[in-house]
Amino acid sequence: MTAFSDIVASNGTYIIMYLLAFVLLYLGIVKHFEPLLLIPIAFGVLIANFPGGDMGVYQADETGRIVDATGKVLTENIWEMSLPAIAHDLGLMNFLYYMLIKTGFLPPVIFMGVGALTDFGPMLRNLRLSIFGAAAQLGIFAVLLVAVGSGFFNIKEAAALGIIGGADGPTAIFTTIKLAPHLLAPIAIAAYSYMALVPVIIPLVVRLTCSEKELKINMKEQDKLYPSTNKMKNEKVIKIIFPIAVTTIVALLVPTAVSLIGMLMFGNLLKEIGSDTSRLFDTISNSIMNTATVFLGLCVGATMTVQAFLNLTTIGIVIGGFFAFGLSIASGIFMVKITNLFSKKKINPLIGATGLSAVPMASRVCNEISTKYDPKNHVLNYCMSSNVSGVIGSAVAAGVLISFLQNITL
Amino acid sequence: MITNDIFGALQLMVVGMLTVFCVLLIVIGLGTLLIKLVNKYAPEEVTNKKPMAAATGAAGQIDATVKAIIDATVAQITGGKGKVKNITKL
Repeated sequence: MTAFSDIVASNGTYIIMYLLAFVLLYLGIVKHFEPLLLIPIAFGVLIANFPGGDMGVYQADETGRIVDATGKVLTENIWEMSLPAIAHDLGLMNFLYYMLIKTGFLPPVIFMGVGALTDFGPMLRNLRLSIFGAAAQLGIFAVLLVAVGSGFFNIKEAAALGIIGGADGPTAIFTTIKLAPHLLAPIAIAAYSYMALVPVIIPLVVRLTCSEKELKINMKEQDKLYPSTNKMKNEKVIKIIFPIAVTTIVALLVPTAVSLIGMLMFGNLLKEIGSDTSRLFDTISNSIMNTATVFLGLCVGATMTVQAFLNLTTIGIVIGGFFAFGLSIASGIFMVKITNLFSKKKINPLIGATGLSAVPMASRVCNEISTKYDPKNHVLNYCMSSNVSGVIGSAVAAGVLISFLQNITL
Repeated sequence: MITNDIFGALQLMVVGMLTVFCVLLIVIGLGTLLIKLVNKYAPEEVTNKKPMAAATGAAGQIDATVKAIIDATVAQITGGKGKVKNITKL
């Protein structure tokens, strides 16, 4: 009748999941670490792990077969089940998961909202700095290589693990759904946890890789010494054409990235057009974005059941994800250092550190670091350039991984 | 099997990084071209400074309409509890 007997018989595994949920709730509510995401995820973890509650998500194997913890086959092929049948037989959370997440519906919807909240102005004002958004994707591929070399992950799982280095939650979820859906829970948690820990990880990597002299490079003074030749005379028109042009170019080069980049740019276009589309902008940046975030968080949390989460693979993902994150930050910094060797106009390495996504927290953190060394040295606008281009970079990297690996059989 | 996977991962690393760099270089080129074309062909933004000038009079007085807007905004944000005592133009 009650859940007590199953919890007692589980040798404490359920208790570990409850503790994990409480820690995540604490980080979200008290420490304010990504509360909009961590709180739904944490609550999803909590409600998914009550025996008999039917709120945990079951992962289907490649043939669509679902087996529960006791080895009982729940369905032979979930892909042949209708959504009402899934809701009836497997519970509400499986209905939401297989309709919204497994179809890859929610990540692009969230990207649309992110686009509506993104300003490409700083990137357009400092276009050359955008290239550091590419350098910072190295962590994704380096960890992919190491993970495959370890023999612990196959190449699809390694790619899903590496994408944590992109520091972009929806991109990580989208890629994992396509390549290794059984790892969705630990990868989503690792991605969002490390994004929440950006204020800790970036200063750590910066301290290990940058000197005080480099961190004191004042970008405004460099701009005065070597002024930019690309001054925008009509920012509004440029900002309207830019998302259309970028979508077209990316669609031609990496079609698999269009679902992310296309939606990002669509959201941004609605924002930049202004009053004519203000109602649509308001809807996607508030109602739709918030609804999508609630269901994404709850469903991702509900995938973290005892069976799916408490295993060695999860530990591997937590460690690998950290290295992917750290390497992405370091590779952006080293790209700046290499550029400084050949360029008269010196660049603050913090601009390379923000090449990973995590907009705008990474930029804010780097601005805090720079003002600590020189209170007048505000690098926020410059960091936003590589930060925003990092969103494009990680989506393109995800597109490459998906297009190469989606159709291979292991 | 693992050797094949490592080779595949290396290939992915090279192709992936090259693609990301190429796409962002193209985006940079595209942005630069766009700025040049718009600067050349599209008319410049007209920044209308008149309302600001009208809003503050010669003696730094705030225009009544602007003051009413600020009052209404503060009232809405603070739920009617806030009151504007002083308005200073920065």
